Amino acid sequence: MRTIIQAVSLLLFSVFFVFATYKLPNWLPADIYLRLDPLLGINAVIAAREIIGRALWALATVGATLVIGRFFCAYVCPMGASLDFLDFLFFRKKKRSGLKAEVSLRKTKYFLLVVFIVAALTGLSLAFLMDPMSLLTRFYTFFIYPLATTLINLILDLLRPLVEALGWVTLSHLHYFQSVYYMSAITLLIFGGIIVLNRLVPRFWCRYLCPLGAFLSLISPLGLFKRRVSEDCNECLKCQKACPMGAVTEDPRGTRLPECTQCRTCAKVCPQDAITFPASLSMGGEYSKVDFSRRGFLYSLAGGLGVGFLAMKTPFALQQSKHQLIRPPGAIPETEFLRTCIRCGECMKSCLTNTLQPSLWESGFSGLWTPKMEPRLAPCDQNCNVCGKVCPTQAIRSISLEEKTHAKVGTAVLRKEMCLVWAENKICLICDEICPYNAIVFRPVEGYRRPVVIASKCNGCGFCEQRCPVKGESAIVVTPNGEIRLKKGSYIKEAKKLELEFKPDPGDDKFILEESGFKVEESKKGGRSLTPKEKPQPKKPKGFL
Amino acid sequence: MATAGTALSLVGRPPFSLAKEEYDLAVISGEPVAATEKALEAIGGISRFVKKGQRVVLKPNMSFARTPDFSATTHPLVVATVAQACMEAGAHQVLVLDHTLQRAELCLERAGIREACKNISGVHVLALQERKFFGEIKIPQGKVLERVEVFREILDGHMLINIPVAKSHSATGVSLGLKGLMGMIWDRESFHSQYNINQAIADLATVIKPQLTILDATRALASGGPGGPGEVKKTNLIIAGIDPIAVDSYGVSIVPWYGQSFKGRQVEHILIAHQRGLGKIDIDQLKIFKEKV
Repeated sequence: MRTIIQAVSLLLFSVFFVFATYKLPNWLPADIYLRLDPLLGINAVIAAREIIGRALWALATVGATLVIGRFFCAYVCPMGASLDFLDFLFFRKKKRSGLKAEVSLRKTKYFLLVVFIVAALTGLSLAFLMDPMSLLTRFYTFFIYPLATTLINLILDLLRPLVEALGWVTLSHLHYFQSVYYMSAITLLIFGGIIVLNRLVPRFWCRYLCPLGAFLSLISPLGLFKRRVSEDCNECLKCQKACPMGAVTEDPRGTRLPECTQCRTCAKVCPQDAITFPASLSMGGEYSKVDFSRRGFLYSLAGGLGVGFLAMKTPFALQQSKHQLIRPPGAIPETEFLRTCIRCGECMKSCLTNTLQPSLWESGFSGLWTPKMEPRLAPCDQNCNVCGKVCPTQAIRSISLEEKTHAKVGTAVLRKEMCLVWAENKICLICDEICPYNAIVFRPVEGYRRPVVIASKCNGCGFCEQRCPVKGESAIVVTPNGEIRLKKGSYIKEAKKLELEFKPDPGDDKFILEESGFKVEESKKGGRSLTPKEKPQPKKPKGFL
Repeated sequence: MATAGTALSLVGRPPFSLAKEEYDLAVISGEPVAATEKALEAIGGISRFVKKGQRVVLKPNMSFARTPDFSATTHPLVVATVAQACMEAGAHQVLVLDHTLQRAELCLERAGIREACKNISGVHVLALQERKFFGEIKIPQGKVLERVEVFREILDGHMLINIPVAKSHSATGVSLGLKGLMGMIWDRESFHSQYNINQAIADLATVIKPQLTILDATRALASGGPGGPGEVKKTNLIIAGIDPIAVDSYGVSIVPWYGQSFKGRQVEHILIAHQRGLGKIDIDQLKIFKEKV
């Protein structure tokens, strides 16, 4: 029964994950598992010092845990389900004698919880490092999803001759877009490490490390359902050995309530059928206390403050407003963004063009795994606003396409010394051709037709940077200059205030005959050549009429 | 007849006959569906080109994720009408293909061509963005290009109908039928960065020879092309013909581009293609069937 619920939950998690993509319907909360995670919610709310609407969903988990107990870990958590499944696959026949340091190890997760919450108090979002939901979504995004795409395309390629022979046209041309990410390997190593730890004891992660489990266990002893052992117990200790959480005490009749996830493995293995999980209002007595020492608490307090200090008081933090990263459109101001983002990777999974990539060290420790745009790799498409839709903490705001168009992420800068037209006089127009906003125009410059960026029309989408045929670095690059980062309010209004215009309109291309594909017969050219013969007169300085 | 030839063979271009007169071009004014139907009828019916059991490739322009009103892509109804006609003429299947510039899914969704064709059985609208769907051909008469990778369907001897949209182009002046052929090759970037684009287009036209070109000039993007946004002129024309140079040359004359009137001869890539003997360029020497529907 439990296995089925677990499997369904993992499947649901995967399905929601798959749905987090372009054309996500507005009503579908693809990020629901992340919203339901109270640790991520608390982390974001404390670090951002603000109530976040979507984080309130986590109250449902808190409420259910208060009423039922710590059932989440055994039934709902997709990470727990993955651990159980992979444990079954790899380690089920291995002898695991348990750890001597069990008691002190068990405390680790509480210390970590304290560290994360204290770090959040200093304004550092850190829980993402070990929160199971964030961790698993990241693992799915950076590893499972690209791998699955590769495998599916491989199968399609293998079947292609057959499909072609059968005349199934659409299938024979089917190919799924392959997303690729930085940091796939690191993410895999971390997840792999967690799995390998299971070799020591089952659910090593959940028992000793998971800060979400720690939080839930703190509020679980109030729950209705508690393990009860009847008189029939013959002290065979089978339950104690079988319990994946180590929740059965030396005396098999006792239960460490905060550790018990109500998985009922003990009831299943009991030869006497002596174990039941009846509803009871009792507090559970001596075993309901959380293992926690004052000293450990103080240490973790200091640890949290220390990490907070190290991460926040660095030159990175001082340069936050001058950072070089292009953030996704709708990302709130940088300081708040770093505090609110929980690094789940959902935005990068959903990104239609694959431009969103995780940061490694570009903005320091506090910017790990945060999304950045990589325009040389791919642009941000003007028809897609899915990254904000799936952001569980709204570090990227969910905004309409019209609003998103005005959420300028930066400005393209043309590097003349590298541009094929400026430097080599070639007929290249790719940036102009692809620019969705007509922000690149050709102007006569000293008799030649040259591309120029109109900053007030450029919203930083990066099509130009991606398509520029110059090898290596692009001759036209998006810089964060001019980005609009709003915590609330309308981007359209802000853009109007700044006199920006992203509405597609005809633009003011100046077309010069000789440089174009049009040939003009010499006789007809006469004096009305559009190419200025004399140098263009400098305009009056700005501000004068 | 030429129609039996494959897309790759050098086909002769016999002028078609209608009411005992012979025409080079059909220029029909009217709404997209009616005008397209009339144009097909005027060139002697699609069954002159499409034989029973044949596989047909239609090459519209759907390279941009723009809705049809931007005029950066071929009108969906023009494509659907031609596709329908091909199926009615007994085609085995019709593939509507383009190598899109923006993400395939978006282009298919925005351009509206997939939507317009979804109820016609046997018609598949696909955007190809993977190299595995392209194969290499040699260009024996190439001046700048020796070989090029094109849709594999072209190598497989599908019959080809080019259905470009009429638009301006900031490198080649206009983008009509000949320029539209660039949407069938894998490496379009090199045309801009490596080669003289006008020569390269003419090279391409020596090996990719659509049996029929139907220029969608129901509206024309007179500036801001090829991607738009730009000035969209409501021209209400369908121009169909066997000679790709003749169609393009007429297409140049229909509106002023960037505010100036031009002739086909003034467009470098069309002129080069003409000089290579690929078709007629002087429209006053063409026999043109004109009608308003």
